[in-house]
Amino acid sequence: MKILKNIFASIVLISFLFLGNLAEANASFNNLMPCKESTSFQKRLNTSIKKLENRLKFYTPDSKESEFLTKEIQSTKSRFERYGNSNLLCGKEGLPRIIASGQWDHANEFVIPGILFLYITGWIGWVGRKYIKYASGTDNSFENEIIINVPVAISIANSGFLWPVDAWKEFTNGDLLASDDDITVSPR
Amino acid sequence: MNDFLKYLSTAPVILTAWLSLTAGFIMFINFIYPDPLTFPSF
Repeated sequence: MKILKNIFASIVLISFLFLGNLAEANASFNNLMPCKESTSFQKRLNTSIKKLENRLKFYTPDSKESEFLTKEIQSTKSRFERYGNSNLLCGKEGLPRIIASGQWDHANEFVIPGILFLYITGWIGWVGRKYIKYASGTDNSFENEIIINVPVAISIANSGFLWPVDAWKEFTNGDLLASDDDITVSPR
Repeated sequence: MNDFLKYLSTAPVILTAWLSLTAGFIMFINFIYPDPLTFPSF
């Protein structure tokens, strides 16, 4: 129990240290430039459009294919415009790069989606654990794991949005981790 | 009717329904906001 607690605490500590040192990770991206100013990014837009327009020539204007290709040209244009306007940095070859160093001016490229991912997966895992704990307390616990009690499961799933708070509460009062006596070990 | 509800509550059926919903939701998001590369700032 104590070892597990120490490991957990050091994981938390290490992650905080990394988050705290973000400023030092601020690299200057000398070999990257804003996509908007990149000529090869612009070139990529033009070649993509040209390719689609060349395909468009094969079809009569009122055909389904030309309608599709016109839409495709439109969406290509808006995609490049959006990437150009969104603070993305491009390499020399004109492809946008995701900056995953954690610095805040590029947070919407990696940090925010990453935190969102952890939040959603944590939510799913937390309510799944909660449901299994609920099932283990009922009369026929195995059946409740195979045949889901849907109303209970939905109410549990909806209650999970504050899971980081709940998890922290359970960790501090010792409910999150099982005690060493409950863990079976092979004879040694 | 009760047996049918029980069948609908079995784990594989629930899983299929849930993942179909999730997949549909993600397709819908990608339909109205295509080609996301960064998290949108509104």
